[in-house]
Amino acid sequence: MSAASPKDAVLRRAKRVDRLMAVIISVGGLAIIAAVLGMLFFIGKEAFPLFRGARGSAKQGLQAPAQAALLLDESGKAAVAVSAAEGLRLIRLTDGSALKSVAGSPALPWSWVSRPTAAGELLVLDGAGRLHEGRLKWSKPAGEANPAAWDLEPVWQPALQPAQAPQRILAFRLMEGGGLEGSGVLRVAALTQEGPAWLESVPGTTAAVAWKPLTNLAGQTVQAALWSSDGQQLFIGTATGRLLALDVATGALTAEAAFPEPITALAFALGGNSILAGGERGALQAFQLLRTGDAPQLQRLHVFQPLAGPVRGFMPSLRDKRFLVWSDRDLAVDHLTTEARLFRASAEGLTSASLSTRGDLVTASSASGETRAWTLQATHPEVTFTSLVGKVHYEGYDKPEFVWQSSGGTDDFEPKFSLVPLVFGTLKGTLYAMLFALPLAVLGALYTSQFATPRLRNAIKPTVEIMAALPSVVLGFLAGLVMAPLFEKLAVSVLVFPAAALVLALLAFPVWMRLPDRFKSLWGTGREVLWAVPLLVAAGLLSLTAAPAFERAFLGGDYRHWLLSAQGITYDQRNSLVVGFAMGFAVIPIIFTLSEDALSSVPKSLTSASLACGASPWQTAWRVVLPTASPGIFSAVMVGLGRAIGETMIVLMATGNTPVLDWSPFNGMRTLAANIAVEIPEAPHHGSLYRVLFLAAFLLFLLTFLLNTLAELVRQRLRKKYESF
Amino acid sequence: MARNGTSLPSGLQRGREFLRRGSAFVWLSAAALALSLLMITGLVGFIAVKGLGFFWPRALVQATTPEGPLLGEISAREAALGEEPAKVQFRVANRDLYGQDFRWIKVAELGAQQRPADAVLVERLENGAFIGFVASVSENGRVLASGDAAFEEALGRLPEAQSLQGDIRTIEKDEVGTLNRRLEDLRLRRRGLAPADATALARLEAEEKALRVRYEALQTRLDGLRAKSAELQIILRTVDGQTKEIPLSAVVRLVAPNRTGILGKAGIYAARLWEFVSGDPRESNTEGGIFPAIFGTVLMVLIMSLMVVPLGVVTALFLREYARDGWLVRSVRVAVNNLAGVPSIVFGVFGLGFFVYTMGGAIDQAFFADRLPTPTYGTGGILWASLTLALLTVPVVVVATEEALSSVPRSLREASLALGATKWQTIWKVVLPGAAPGILTGLILAMARGAGEVAPLMLTGVVKLAPAMPLDGQFPYFHFDRKFMHLGFHIYDVGFQSPNSEAAKPMVYMTALLLLLVVVALNLFALRLRRRLRERLGGSTF
Repeated sequence: MSAASPKDAVLRRAKRVDRLMAVIISVGGLAIIAAVLGMLFFIGKEAFPLFRGARGSAKQGLQAPAQAALLLDESGKAAVAVSAAEGLRLIRLTDGSALKSVAGSPALPWSWVSRPTAAGELLVLDGAGRLHEGRLKWSKPAGEANPAAWDLEPVWQPALQPAQAPQRILAFRLMEGGGLEGSGVLRVAALTQEGPAWLESVPGTTAAVAWKPLTNLAGQTVQAALWSSDGQQLFIGTATGRLLALDVATGALTAEAAFPEPITALAFALGGNSILAGGERGALQAFQLLRTGDAPQLQRLHVFQPLAGPVRGFMPSLRDKRFLVWSDRDLAVDHLTTEARLFRASAEGLTSASLSTRGDLVTASSASGETRAWTLQATHPEVTFTSLVGKVHYEGYDKPEFVWQSSGGTDDFEPKFSLVPLVFGTLKGTLYAMLFALPLAVLGALYTSQFATPRLRNAIKPTVEIMAALPSVVLGFLAGLVMAPLFEKLAVSVLVFPAAALVLALLAFPVWMRLPDRFKSLWGTGREVLWAVPLLVAAGLLSLTAAPAFERAFLGGDYRHWLLSAQGITYDQRNSLVVGFAMGFAVIPIIFTLSEDALSSVPKSLTSASLACGASPWQTAWRVVLPTASPGIFSAVMVGLGRAIGETMIVLMATGNTPVLDWSPFNGMRTLAANIAVEIPEAPHHGSLYRVLFLAAFLLFLLTFLLNTLAELVRQRLRKKYESF
Repeated sequence: MARNGTSLPSGLQRGREFLRRGSAFVWLSAAALALSLLMITGLVGFIAVKGLGFFWPRALVQATTPEGPLLGEISAREAALGEEPAKVQFRVANRDLYGQDFRWIKVAELGAQQRPADAVLVERLENGAFIGFVASVSENGRVLASGDAAFEEALGRLPEAQSLQGDIRTIEKDEVGTLNRRLEDLRLRRRGLAPADATALARLEAEEKALRVRYEALQTRLDGLRAKSAELQIILRTVDGQTKEIPLSAVVRLVAPNRTGILGKAGIYAARLWEFVSGDPRESNTEGGIFPAIFGTVLMVLIMSLMVVPLGVVTALFLREYARDGWLVRSVRVAVNNLAGVPSIVFGVFGLGFFVYTMGGAIDQAFFADRLPTPTYGTGGILWASLTLALLTVPVVVVATEEALSSVPRSLREASLALGATKWQTIWKVVLPGAAPGILTGLILAMARGAGEVAPLMLTGVVKLAPAMPLDGQFPYFHFDRKFMHLGFHIYDVGFQSPNSEAAKPMVYMTALLLLLVVVALNLFALRLRRRLRERLGGSTF
């Protein structure tokens, strides 16, 4: 038997395991901090890119022919160069080399050609004085990445022969399906020898069409024009700085607005609702034609930072509400909704500029024949700090407002990400829940800890603890499908109930006082709650029977009608009262349990001293126990508040989830938590909505983190305080 | 109290005395407590009554109304309230003929009521229940029985028809499903094949051909069975004379409540209850059973438990046994407390962003690249949902375990250490066994909490109808990537997203009752366990 016996090996092994486990457990214990911080960090990290500003960087080596306007392909590899001298040419952007030639265009040379719009529309005035409207369409074989294999297939409308050559063409619009056999009706506004005029094509004829003068302009010089999407309205920018809306069919002036300087360019942002106007000295504003009330009105929607030099043109992105604007020596990409400038560059002698449909590539051509290009990284331009917390003037609204509306039916929808209605809804739901839960829970806890007999107390505590375990989805289901319709029917009874209970209590009290003392001390003290149950049931029955009479006497027979006519309040079935009530179920047990713990841990010496000094039990409870335990109750309320703020299923099921800003208890709300549950399943990964929802989650996390830390600190201090007793 | 002739000052004094004694306030606080207790018992009782009453066969009442005769169960009554007259709600069923299951009739318009003995309620596979009479039973157009005998005939032949239906379902679900999966597998293998590998390609093609032949054979067998099951028809007649002919195999149950005794009704009740607990859902979850939801809930909670126990126990051990009291312990405690207070939806958001998109996406890139862009783990699934819930319930286990650890007497520890055991040996052999009931309590509470949570699951993998279970006979048996059904989500979905929510309401009550029973039973069990533990060891909460 050697000294290095198996016993030593066993001991060594035991020591090794001991050390290993110490490490594992310490690491495991710290993992919980890591988990909390990691969660906070991860959620914050997912939300953070919202606030990363847009970045533009110069892209080297892009070539394009001078004196041509470009229409960029989506990938940024190729472009259509449009010029009057050479017509349409496909070029490779990397080296400017020609790609496939484009067939079927009007005969060259052209005397004038418009810049292609973002959607690829253009207007050509050919050598014979005829107008051709064309739409440029890429044709790419599936999966083909090489631009050499791409084709351009322009769709040209039948030529339109004006009776007289225009001096300057201002605007054109093809009204789809307006004509027969698929061809549209083309409307053109131009300056002619007789002044500003417009004409429209007559499908099926090739005869010359006469210009119709534009009336009601009061002699103002027209500098820019824009057809509305439906072609019915012509927006005109004048040299006197006025924006006019003309109904061309009647010739009537429908609306007008003032602009600080002569207007030099007009265009639509994506969607055809917001009119972008640029001025001679670089002013930049957006307007909308608002059709509320009796008369339409042109309303200023946004004011952007000005450019240097007269504004020459616009190009909207086809993906979101950003747009490119340029002057003679300046170009910028702005976002309509947020008014944020995503990108700006100076380029002397600018003749035209172009934005890719995705809005991530900007090119600018200058008179010297040079083409410059920039890539633009702006993944969430529609979200800024101000748009999240401030009022924003959205399209279709008559004033700036807090709106949450993340998606719409169309691609050109303007997303509205204001957190204000959601935070408001959260606070409102919490407030109504706390109004209901706080008195019940704290009074109940006070009674249980101070007055109830031990046996009763041992029965009450587990019952309330079970109540805390009720799944919120069950509460939500009951609130939404049972309580909400019931409340609607019995709203008056519910409101009458406290009064009925009070009346019954006042009636019952003298009777109780006259009962023999022996009976009272045997069955009353500590067992009041058992007597309160039948009293409350009776009060419930009384309020049920009395409600119709009350409603007839005071509310004109139908409370909903009364609310609407006398108070201007509409009654929603799923409203804040229902939510407050249902959420009370979730919050009461939490506040009750924690408050009860705090109240019953108040040292016996304090209560005994108070009672010995002749204070009644209630005085002792109210003046001694409650103040002593108030930090504990405060922390209980904080935890309850945290639960109410984050509660999801109840709010989701018991309200209509409408994000409104209204304190009325008779309508609903949308809370941050419910909003996440509603919207995140449809939010594309790493899209703006996804990140905004992560931001909402981050806010919830932070808020409850603060509340819980506060509660925990208070609790720890309280614990220390009682240790000294 | 003018009778006593007391003067004002003494009246004031009495008022002051009354306030001082404050028994009115004691009563007020008692009333607050009573209201809370009334609310909770009322709520649980309400769900229990509504849920449990649903399966009891109710009498079919025939009544005359201005619009013609009407036959159905009386499902609700509404007393006159203000201008509204008293009304009765009939469940008339026959959704396919009437368009709606329920009708409200004013009591004043109800004529004579009777309970025809031959009225039947036919539970069908499609279109909900039928309420009316059995006119006849026919086989291949030949009438087997009509009139009074038809019901008995149908009842007698029902098991045979149902077993046919069962065969069809087995083939459709299991065998065809297996074949489909193997075909999909082949397709994926083919995609992963090198283009030049002609022999492997030929082998795969041969395999696929063989599978297709089997598929055809199954299809013919199915067609045969379907034709056979269509032979037996039952002709039903509504109270207003419309007839409806359906195959007997589409009948789930025939009930003639008006001539069934209390024992028979109890039998039907039991059968319905069993179907509810063990059957698959039908008609977009508004009928049939909720077995997949029960199964999904249980499985998810079990996976969650596997993860939450080690994490929670280790944390508690760290706090109680290893860490020295200081800022570290305080911050761990704050972290645990915060984890308990963070809203569940935030856990869901984290689970979606971290587990599903980040971890799941990485796993897909590494192991399931051939299936992309269809995600395997990069979408919600039972594993991610369980992990999320494990994170959510960790504080419950930590708190309970800490309490249990602190209640293990110091003397035991010291005895063990004095005998030369290392710290870990003491913990493993002495402390943990002593704390086991407390840990179990924590686990049960965590399970109850996990079973009742819905919001985080909605983001991490729960679905209204899962095509396949996360645990089945297919290799590798556990499918952690699969989506699953859940009782809580079932309540939300059927109650709020279902097109026919009125008809589905009883199902929701029953599901809610089941969930409530599970959660309350788990909680009661945990509470009892904890009380026993406290009595035995005399520990305290603080």
